[in-house]
Amino acid sequence: MAAAHGVAEPLDAPVPSGGGELDDLTLVVRAQEGDVRAFEALARRHQAVLYRLAVRVMGDHAEAEDALQEALLDAWRRVDRFRGDSAFSTWMYRVVTNRCVAMLRKRRPVPVAAVDERIPAPDSPERTAEADASMVALGGALRGLPDDLRICWVLRETEGLGYTEIAHITGASEDAVRGRIHRARTRLAEVMRPWR
Amino acid sequence: MALNDSRDFLDAAGPGGPDLLACGRAAALVWDRAEAGTPPDEHERDCPHCRAAHADAGRLGALVHRMAAEEIEPPPSVVDAVMTAVMSELSPHEVLLLESPHGPNRLGRPAAAAVLRGVVDRMDGLRARSCRIEQVPERFEADVAISVTARFGVDLASVTARVRQMVLAAGEQALGVPVRRVDIDVVDVWGEA
Repeated sequence: MAAAHGVAEPLDAPVPSGGGELDDLTLVVRAQEGDVRAFEALARRHQAVLYRLAVRVMGDHAEAEDALQEALLDAWRRVDRFRGDSAFSTWMYRVVTNRCVAMLRKRRPVPVAAVDERIPAPDSPERTAEADASMVALGGALRGLPDDLRICWVLRETEGLGYTEIAHITGASEDAVRGRIHRARTRLAEVMRPWR
Repeated sequence: MALNDSRDFLDAAGPGGPDLLACGRAAALVWDRAEAGTPPDEHERDCPHCRAAHADAGRLGALVHRMAAEEIEPPPSVVDAVMTAVMSELSPHEVLLLESPHGPNRLGRPAAAAVLRGVVDRMDGLRARSCRIEQVPERFEADVAISVTARFGVDLASVTARVRQMVLAAGEQALGVPVRRVDIDVVDVWGEA
């Protein structure tokens, strides 16, 4: 079986022609029947997108790595509960989000003053200093949001998901999701106003 | 960025409804439209609340796009670590018993299913999806139920006969398990990309 290393394209693409790559549904059914290699192929296919989500939600690469690792293990243990009523990618978003929420709850509260001093993710060198600084500021502002606002905002703005899907992932109503995203946007816009 | 929500929400109101701007419009949707580059409609051009939302969305939008476009690669060790944990959790109870001169051999059922799926995967235009193998009680034989997907244009009438033949042969030769019965379902048809 061809494992798709680091593929971050649309997650439910049809089977490509000729090659050995299998569609998500086939891999899921095989994993549900105990095929470890099928699960590994799914994990490799989806890990980049899921890690990006975890980094944005946790605001920290090491914690995001832990969250992704635990979430993938959760997914293996519960894969028989996946019934196909949503895309597998949506189900995985939910598993990762749940794991992040559990980790955030256990985390000791960070004093507000310390939030902005955390070391940002490394940026690429070609950016100008000012652009870098504004990205760092946005990252800091994002980390300063309440968890539920940040999760919905990330799913919408950096993952590009629709409100219905976000509601499904977070277990909140669509109206609640809209409200959270609006509040997150307003707060971020406020914090970022000096950077115009 | 996906904007697949109904415009009905633009003027949604009432308790429990989405957050509204002071003018009564749903804030999230006004923002989405601004972000997507939709020109302001007549109301939005004149309304200070909508104009402010458009301005905020415009300011933040470029930065958010940059953030969304950042490449963040997971450390290569993550899946390896997960698979090590997965392997250590595998339970040994799912086995088939094989006849041998030295007493029964044991073969993991998921491994046997993987072998049969592989046989189907190597057939032109066919892929195995589910493969369940049941030992015939008190006999060194197995019943197989397999579901396959076929490329559009593959002669479906002959699929079951061809798959049955391959599974019977693989059971005997690759697994050492005589297959008594093969149930085959063609569950999906896929097109060439």
